[in-house]
Amino acid sequence: MTKLTVTMPSDTEIRMERTFDAPKRLLIEAMSTPELIARWLGGKRGTVKVAAFDYRVGGAYRYEFKTHEGYEFSFSGTFETISDDTIVYTEAFNDMPGPAIVTTTYREAGGITTMTVTSRFPSKEVRDMVAGTGMAEGAGESYDLLADLVRGMK
Amino acid sequence: MSAATRLDATFSALADPTRRAILARLAKGEASVLELAEPFDMTQPAISKHLKVLERAGLIARGRDGQRRPCRLVATPLRDVTTYLERYRQFWEESFDALDDVLADLKKKHRKETP
Repeated sequence: MTKLTVTMPSDTEIRMERTFDAPKRLLIEAMSTPELIARWLGGKRGTVKVAAFDYRVGGAYRYEFKTHEGYEFSFSGTFETISDDTIVYTEAFNDMPGPAIVTTTYREAGGITTMTVTSRFPSKEVRDMVAGTGMAEGAGESYDLLADLVRGMK
Repeated sequence: MSAATRLDATFSALADPTRRAILARLAKGEASVLELAEPFDMTQPAISKHLKVLERAGLIARGRDGQRRPCRLVATPLRDVTTYLERYRQFWEESFDALDDVLADLKKKHRKETP
C-alpha cells in the first residue's frame, strides 16, 4: 500500500505517487511545518535545515541538505498555490535557473491519503539531468518495468 | 561515447515496447533473428531494424555463427540506467518512509489532544 511509484508521464515531467496511512489534514501538516519537514525530508542520509519557510502564496522556502558523506545541496523556491488538496511551488536545485514547477495533490479516502507529486521541468534535458536519465519518447512507463527486466537478467 | 550519450542511447532504445520485449526474450537466452521474429509477428527486416538500434545502444551483441548470428543480451547499460533512476527513487522512498513515522506521531498527538 505504501509503495512509491515513479513515472515519467511526459518528456518534461517526473511523477511520484504514494499512499499514506493518515488523513490529508495530517499529511499537509507534516509537509508544511518546518520542524516536521526537517524530520523526514531526505530520510536518514544526513541532516536538512529548513532555512526559510514562508507558507503563503508568493512566500519562499529553502531546504539545505548535508549528507553523512559531507555532500551539500539545496532545494528552494516559492509557493504559487495553496489550497485544500493542491499545493504548487517552484523548485530549484542548488539555485539553478529555470526551476521546476511542482504540483502536489492529495486525495483522501477512508483515512488513507494518496499523494501525487508531479514535477514539470523547463525542458527534457533538465528533467533528464534531474533524474540522471535520458529517457526519450515513450515516456509514461514505470521505472518498475526496467527494474524487473534487470532483475530477470541477473 | 560519453556516459551521458550512452545513457541517452540506452533510453532511446528502451522507449520502444517491441525492443523491450526483445530484451525480455533475450534475458532467457540467445536467439536468432528468425526466432525473434516469430513471436512478434513481424517481418525479419523489421526485427533487424530494432536489433540494430539495440546493438548501437550496446544492449545486445551479435554472434558470428555464420548466417544465424545469434543475439544475446549485454547487461551493463541497463544496470547504469537503473543506478541513476534508483538514486532519485531512493531519496524519496527514504524520505517518505520517515514521513510515515512523523504521521504516526501526529496521529498519537492529535488523539491525546481530543478530549
